[in-house]
Amino acid sequence: MTPVLGSVSLSLAAGFGILSIILLSLYIRSDDYRLFLAGRRMAIIVSVLVIIATLVLVKELITSNFDVDYVAHYTSIETPTVYKFTALWAGQSGSLLFWIFILSIYSLITIFQNRNRYHRMMPWVLCVILTVQLFFLILTNFITNPFEPTNADFIVANGLGLNPLLQNLTMAIHPPVLYLGFVGFTIPFAFTVAALLTNEKGSLWVRSIRRWSLVTWLALSSGIMLGGWWAYQELGWGGYWAWDPVENASFMPWLTGTAFLHSIIIQEKKNMLRVWNTILIMLTFALTIFGTFLTRSGVMSSVHSFTESSLGPIFLGFVAIIITVCAVLIFHGLPNLKSNKRIESLTSRESGFLFNNVVFVTMCFAVFWGTIFPVISEAVRGTKITVGPPFFNQVNVPIGLLLLMLTGVGPLLAWRRTSRSNFIKYFSIPIGLALIAAIVFLLSGFRGYVVISLMLSVFVVVAIVTEFKRGVQARMNRFGESSFVAFRTMVRKNRSRYGGYFVHLGIVLMFIGFTGQAFNLKKEFGLGINDREHLGNINFELKQLREEERPNHFAWISELLVTGKDGNNITTLRPEKRIYFHRDPNPDRRQPHSELDIYTTLKRDIYSVFSSIDTDNDIAFFQIMINPLVQFVWYGGYILVLGTLIALWPSKREKLLM
Amino acid sequence: MVPKNKVVITVTGIALIALFWIYWVSVNPMDEKAMVKFISVQEVLQSKNHERVRIGGIVADGSIILSSTNKLEVVFTLKEGDSFLPVEFIGTRPDLFKNGAEVIVEGLYQEGSFHADILQTKCASRYEGDLRDASFYNLDEIEI
Repeated sequence: MTPVLGSVSLSLAAGFGILSIILLSLYIRSDDYRLFLAGRRMAIIVSVLVIIATLVLVKELITSNFDVDYVAHYTSIETPTVYKFTALWAGQSGSLLFWIFILSIYSLITIFQNRNRYHRMMPWVLCVILTVQLFFLILTNFITNPFEPTNADFIVANGLGLNPLLQNLTMAIHPPVLYLGFVGFTIPFAFTVAALLTNEKGSLWVRSIRRWSLVTWLALSSGIMLGGWWAYQELGWGGYWAWDPVENASFMPWLTGTAFLHSIIIQEKKNMLRVWNTILIMLTFALTIFGTFLTRSGVMSSVHSFTESSLGPIFLGFVAIIITVCAVLIFHGLPNLKSNKRIESLTSRESGFLFNNVVFVTMCFAVFWGTIFPVISEAVRGTKITVGPPFFNQVNVPIGLLLLMLTGVGPLLAWRRTSRSNFIKYFSIPIGLALIAAIVFLLSGFRGYVVISLMLSVFVVVAIVTEFKRGVQARMNRFGESSFVAFRTMVRKNRSRYGGYFVHLGIVLMFIGFTGQAFNLKKEFGLGINDREHLGNINFELKQLREEERPNHFAWISELLVTGKDGNNITTLRPEKRIYFHRDPNPDRRQPHSELDIYTTLKRDIYSVFSSIDTDNDIAFFQIMINPLVQFVWYGGYILVLGTLIALWPSKREKLLM
Repeated sequence: MVPKNKVVITVTGIALIALFWIYWVSVNPMDEKAMVKFISVQEVLQSKNHERVRIGGIVADGSIILSSTNKLEVVFTLKEGDSFLPVEFIGTRPDLFKNGAEVIVEGLYQEGSFHADILQTKCASRYEGDLRDASFYNLDEIEI
């Protein structure tokens, strides 16, 4: 009975959505405030209905109602309850419903936050949000309905279950966090469109969407990092990023979104770069929809994509409409958007932001180009070309290093213009130390990009630390505060600035981690009991190999003694080879799975995969990797999150405003 | 010079250099693995020049032979439509590699055999399975 409630909620939501858009459009024409109130109430109803539908699906999943096709496909009686819940976003129709669910919550928050503000913009904001909701409602109502009954003329006793690879808590939270980020850009987009249409010139709304974008950006960044971390811990190829189309799909809006977060500051403070910001947020929004298209359409072969479906053309059509509408809006709004202020100097904070934006957008274009190149080449030349990680690495390393440099240069530049004397004062120490570091690295035998990357890392860290020091020193001299109090007060007084610097430090740590990849080692070998192999100056000896039958799988457990070159004991690694569904009479249905084991230190990870076993001769085959500095990527990630939280934490004044 | 122009010229300059760089890497990739042609098994069999290619197909039933001396070494037949191609691969096989699996291989075709150094599998069909196949959810097979 209840699945019907879900379907009906979705249909009603679509109906109310259309009604709401009509009422709001009438209000915009007639200015009768009652129409606005009615339209807004309808918008609330749409969101509430979507939330009800989602809850219904969750209930069906948890109670294992296999009469619903989706439930039967992605869960089974044996699936642990937590994964029954996460199955909500494991499949196509569920994840689309989950998408509107998040958007609906965002919509309710937006309506509540701005219940007494922006009376001219709000009808447009709501219309934009409702249009996006409607698009996804059409998909879930007509194309891929999560409440579709099971197509079987018998009673389905049990479902198919969730892939064991996905039964992992990180994997369970990676998609929703990423979605929070993807969907969140709809709100700043809606405000930007509304500001364009109502010719809003104030900066208060800019402030509120900047905060909103920052929350969204935090979710997107965390989602991307969780995905990388999961891949590294679970998938066994030893890396965290493979330039897969779907990874790129999340990275592209991150790049434009990051650019937007920087240049919106200039709009807030100086009312400049308005055309540019409008373009950036529109681009970011279009890229989130395009990203969903890449994930859902099956156009690109990818580990992430679902099976091919009719969704592709519909999504592409929607992206085309978004881009066309945005282009028309910008063209019409251009005279009003143009600012009469100019960037005064090349060595100003403003132009620093502008250069960073250009670099971000270029990188986004490079990734976009590599991602769609196979499709273009097939269409133009008839040959399908696959673009691999070496292309993306080759293109993006120099661009990334340029960005790394700017994370240090930007904070040192003064607003309007950096005078020659200040330039020398602020830059000489960071540049000097960076050059000394470069010489040290060269003498230590490092070459190429590695030296440039490490040199720039030193430059940025020194630049940011001196910025902190200068601020603290100034307060200490002026107010006689202790260094700790001065530091705390300084950060509190300008959270977004110093939070941002923390994020920059996090990025530097990540780059150090990326640089470590240049020294990755990898080897595959087979070992009998007490056999020994080495990789680099580390020895691996197979001490033991045992079998164990566990509740839902069979496992071979190896014990690898890892020793250094002097025979000193480093650790014991216990990678496993597992067979899930090992009792299935059909061997082709049994699913092997390698449970890897990693020994982690700040300096390097020793990464072991039990790849296969020769049971006749008791030989186990391993893939061993030594990955230097990987931990820096994760630590950089933590600092990035911390910095963003510092920037987001509301000041007393903002608490009063909220 | 008017400062505004300076900024515009610099930004345009950076953008142009970057675009040229992207174009240059696309045309002259440093690594042969950067851009690889994806062709059909039929085309591989007819090809004469030995360039690096990527092909996809299904592992023909019962064709997997593991080497008796090195379990990392495998020989199997790749089937695409009516074309068959023997493939050799040394290395860690993905967990989902088995008879009937959909795979993608990348490497060189030489002397009647395809020497692959990349072997990838597509997702298991189990989770997109047909509910009518009752054995898919046979309770006896899994104990919790």
